[in-house]
Amino acid sequence: MRAGGPPLQQGTTTANATGGATTTANATGAANATNGSAAGVGPTAPETISGWLGLGANPDPGVQFLIGIVVASLIATVFLGLAAFAGIWGKRKITAAFTDRIAVNRVGPFGLLIIVADAVRLLSKELIVPEDVDRPAYDIAPMLVPFSALLGFAVIPMGSGLQLADPETGFVFVFAAASIASLGLLTAGYASNNKYSFLGGLRAVAQNLAYEIPLVVTAASVVLFAGTLRMSEIVAAQAEPLVTVAGFAIPAWFAFVNPFAFVLFMTANLAEVGRNPFDVPEAPGELVAGYMTEYSSVYFVLLYLGEFLHIFLGGAIVATLFLGGPAGPGPAALGLVWFMLKVLAVYLFTQWMRSAIPRVRIDQLIEIGWKGMLVLSFANLVLTAVIVGLIV
Amino acid sequence: MSSNRETTETGTADAQPTDMQFGEARSASTDSDGPAAEGVVESTQEARMGSGADSRFNSKLRNAFGSSPFILTKFDKFMNWVRGSSMFMLQFGIACCSIEMMHTYAVKHDLDRFGAGVPRASPRQADVIIVPGTIVSKFAPRMKRVYDQMPEPKFVVSMGSCTVSGGPFQQGYNVIKGAEEVIPCDIHVPGCPPRPEALIYGVAKLQERIAEGESAPVTVKPYELEQFGDLQRDELVEHLAADIDEDTLVMRYNWADST
Amino acid sequence: MSLEEPTGERTETHLTGVTEAGLDYDAIADLLGDRVVGRETHLNAEAFVVRPDEVQEALFALRDEAGFDHCSCVTAQEYEDRFESIYHLKRYDDPTQEVSVVVPTPRDAPASQTAEPVYRTADWHEREAYDLVGVEYEGHPDLRRILLPETWQGHPLGLDYDQDRPQIVTLESHANPLAEDQADDTGEADTMFLNIGPHHPATHGVLHVETVLDGEQVADVRSDIGYLHRCEEQMAQSGKYRHEIMPYPDRWDYVSAGLLNEWAYARTAEDLAGLEVPEYAQVIRTMGAEFSRIAAHMLAVATFALDVYGEFTATFMYGFRDREVVMDILEDLTGQRLMFNYFRLGGVAWDLPEPRAEFFEKIRDFLDELPGKLDEYHDLITSNEIFQLRCVDTGVIDAETAKDYGCTGPVARASGVDYDLRRDDPYGYYDELDWDVAVEPDGDNYARVLTRLREVEQSARIIEQCVDLLEDWPEEEREIQSNVPRTLRPDEDAEIYRAVEGAKGELGIYIRSDGTDKPARFKIRSPCFSNLQALPEMAEGEYIADLIASLASIDIVLGEVDR
Ligand code: SF4
Repeated sequence: MRAGGPPLQQGTTTANATGGATTTANATGAANATNGSAAGVGPTAPETISGWLGLGANPDPGVQFLIGIVVASLIATVFLGLAAFAGIWGKRKITAAFTDRIAVNRVGPFGLLIIVADAVRLLSKELIVPEDVDRPAYDIAPMLVPFSALLGFAVIPMGSGLQLADPETGFVFVFAAASIASLGLLTAGYASNNKYSFLGGLRAVAQNLAYEIPLVVTAASVVLFAGTLRMSEIVAAQAEPLVTVAGFAIPAWFAFVNPFAFVLFMTANLAEVGRNPFDVPEAPGELVAGYMTEYSSVYFVLLYLGEFLHIFLGGAIVATLFLGGPAGPGPAALGLVWFMLKVLAVYLFTQWMRSAIPRVRIDQLIEIGWKGMLVLSFANLVLTAVIVGLIV
Repeated sequence: MSSNRETTETGTADAQPTDMQFGEARSASTDSDGPAAEGVVESTQEARMGSGADSRFNSKLRNAFGSSPFILTKFDKFMNWVRGSSMFMLQFGIACCSIEMMHTYAVKHDLDRFGAGVPRASPRQADVIIVPGTIVSKFAPRMKRVYDQMPEPKFVVSMGSCTVSGGPFQQGYNVIKGAEEVIPCDIHVPGCPPRPEALIYGVAKLQERIAEGESAPVTVKPYELEQFGDLQRDELVEHLAADIDEDTLVMRYNWADST
Repeated sequence: MSLEEPTGERTETHLTGVTEAGLDYDAIADLLGDRVVGRETHLNAEAFVVRPDEVQEALFALRDEAGFDHCSCVTAQEYEDRFESIYHLKRYDDPTQEVSVVVPTPRDAPASQTAEPVYRTADWHEREAYDLVGVEYEGHPDLRRILLPETWQGHPLGLDYDQDRPQIVTLESHANPLAEDQADDTGEADTMFLNIGPHHPATHGVLHVETVLDGEQVADVRSDIGYLHRCEEQMAQSGKYRHEIMPYPDRWDYVSAGLLNEWAYARTAEDLAGLEVPEYAQVIRTMGAEFSRIAAHMLAVATFALDVYGEFTATFMYGFRDREVVMDILEDLTGQRLMFNYFRLGGVAWDLPEPRAEFFEKIRDFLDELPGKLDEYHDLITSNEIFQLRCVDTGVIDAETAKDYGCTGPVARASGVDYDLRRDDPYGYYDELDWDVAVEPDGDNYARVLTRLREVEQSARIIEQCVDLLEDWPEEEREIQSNVPRTLRPDEDAEIYRAVEGAKGELGIYIRSDGTDKPARFKIRSPCFSNLQALPEMAEGEYIADLIASLASIDIVLGEVDR
């Protein structure tokens, strides 16, 4: 599993930090990347590319910037594509499987062309901006939601060397970026001049407040284990075998080390991405379509994609923090595949919940958040701290 | 500029709503300043299709170029394929037919196979409104409003004999004699109620027609939403004048004309 | 049960006129004393004519002294020389004990005292009477049109209504009804007014609920109905008894409950015209009707899931999957999936489909699978903890309130009101069969769903017994229809009010004949109409999500509410 160089310098982390993230790209790092070490802390993708281009590890800022943009667009495209795939086709197929149906099968093979048709059709529809909406807030909101999710992906190590940036505070960054979305939802709800949207927006904020804290606190327990906030190192920390059963090593994924935290995190994550039983902000059937009631055409597409991007970001965080990131059997170059599979598994889980579980009421939701999840997550944190203290 | 477009703008004196299907105006109530009769027909028809060929199917580029360059023709074809392959339905239930409509969405009949099984609760995100049931006087203005709230291009499947003619309730004092008296319909699915198979056939047929760029003309003189102040003053209007504000939207039913 | 005790005691201690043998109408007449100015005999009960300004006294006496706690229906009608309102009263303990109160009012000033203080349910019934017929009720708290738009001209079921006159209907925004009471210094209320419907995914059709929200909580609820008022009564009044009316009942409660509704008309018209129904036909009717009930309850549960779970989830689809099976069987039996038109006066349209063995086989397969499917529902719904969290103790209505609002059917039974016309006022073949009435004491959303699921079980029991009977029925005795004259002309001025247990509760029909082959007045008592009226009792003070859940748990069908 631990091919390539040894997992990099636990000790040198602080030293690197002073030089900024890019300075870590030393010769070992480059070698590491070409070896495709999934488990170790590799260089970020822009660094790798500049390495390939023979520009060295630390080219001038302009080039860095350009390469950064290229990689960022690559990542964004991958995930937007994935969101289109899962949001348009996958969602229908999964729901259909849960409910004894077939779903799209006429347009293209397995109905896959529906993705093209749906996307183009939605984009080509008339964009209605109702009277009395609060512009430009009304226009900004649909952009905030998907972009905040995309921002979060920047620091996620996706394996196969694909990571845009690896700042030392990556962990904090990803949660910070993800929670911008609630601002978007509030703006959307408020600016639409529609009471249903408004209710939906307010609910989204109340929900995010209540669940963001347990989410981060639970995730912090992982940080206690790993002893770092850098995403790549959190991944690296999970590469050790936990126990070896009959020559088969079970890796020390934090989901196995601390299942309790994992369950807590998955639950809080459901609330974070607004899926049953916590889909009160959208609450179809109750609030029409919640905060997106008034949006049509492009704006609707953005909100809709944003929703799925957030589910993926949630999945990516789960995969990174609890499921060993891109780790998996086979050559390390397959890291991206494993990573995507994990993300999709989390997505499948959210769709499953959506098909089977009723939604809780808003007051119950808040209560579960503040009185249940928060207490449990702190208990978990203390517990983890004690364990870590004992072991280390 | 296309000659097509020019004629609309100069040809008729009151052709203001030509552009509105792609514009931001959404309240169709603004455009009916004439009293009933001819002016009204024109406004609904134009709000819907522009004049001449049904412009829902044509890209704006084509209007701009005038003729039809090969590439635009292909593009239009592609767009028609897109619209005909996938549609979001409005989650809209009125009466008995909506039960069969739900069965059509659900297990066994599964309308989603045709890419038409995603009911959206908000009209802003729907392409097709299936009108499943009897429309009565109190509901017609609301239905018109919901229809107006949908973004273009939008299509109407009218389901059941009630939406064809009032069906079994045609003689009722409160029943609108068919959906076309309120909104223009693209496909009629007769039956009371039509079986799910029939509705699927109707939707598939609609998709086929959209893909081929055909559409149904509006044939019936529709009831419009208009401001109360714009109504012709007659006995009834005078009588109600004390209760209704000038700028309240109203729908006036001339029952005697519609049977 | 504790909920019921107060009335239980009161009704048992001193009830005037109630004897072992039934009702002693003379004693009731004595009770009412000189408030009675005349007596009529309707086919179902004795009717006392009361002066328009003494309605409340008479009704109070009947309710408190004689125990008529169920105001089933209020019928208004116009004669050449007068208007008339009829209050059809029953007792929840024994619905066969009925009495009617007739209130004539002069044509030039049709006004009588309102019954609303006596029976809450009279509120909407009287509004409807005002709306359609034009009788006015003095002291009514809110006498507005209910089914037709506010701006409507004329009263369509009156004698001189001109159907061709134009009408104007407005599309107005509604105002917050609490705004004035709550205005603070700045003149703004701190509540939010929210229109739910008429086009909204949770209203199950075209109901409009005017809601005032205080934060997420519901401060005030008013249902605005009439968006599906398709003149069912007018249609029935213009059809001939024999064949032309039967298709319409299918369209009142249209969620496959058609046979139950048809039975309401069949029972009323058969009693009116004195027709017999062969036993064999009764068994078929019973079986078909219970299939309808299963289908209707499945839909109720499925759409409840829709509102509590979110769009198109597994439970919803399972409900529809199982309905498809029921509808297939009903299609085999009647020839249509939804609008059966299968009952005929004096029997049914045709015998069971051939080959019979195959048909029975199909039914038995369904019955065998049903317990497993019900377990699935219980797994998915009633034993789901989140579901319980959501539904237990929300939307509560107690037995007394439910009775006051005239609630019947699963809504009443879930509040502990043990009232089921199939058992209490037997018709068809029910009293020969072995089954139970499902009653739950709690009166919350959860109880209403549970009651329906349990009723499905009971319906399956009934069907099973019917199938057993039908299978062994000797071939030569399979008489599906009795002899019915080609044209029915019931006696002039015969009046009857009869009810059956529909899917949603007591579905009653009042018919007055005028000697022709069409009814002179045909009035439908819809269970949903009364049940929906109780919505504010359930929802006020609850959260908006519970309002939606309560609305779903009442299981209204707008076709029946608005008729
Ligand atoms: S066509 Fe028939 S089934 Fe459909 S709404 Fe009308 S009456 Fe009901």
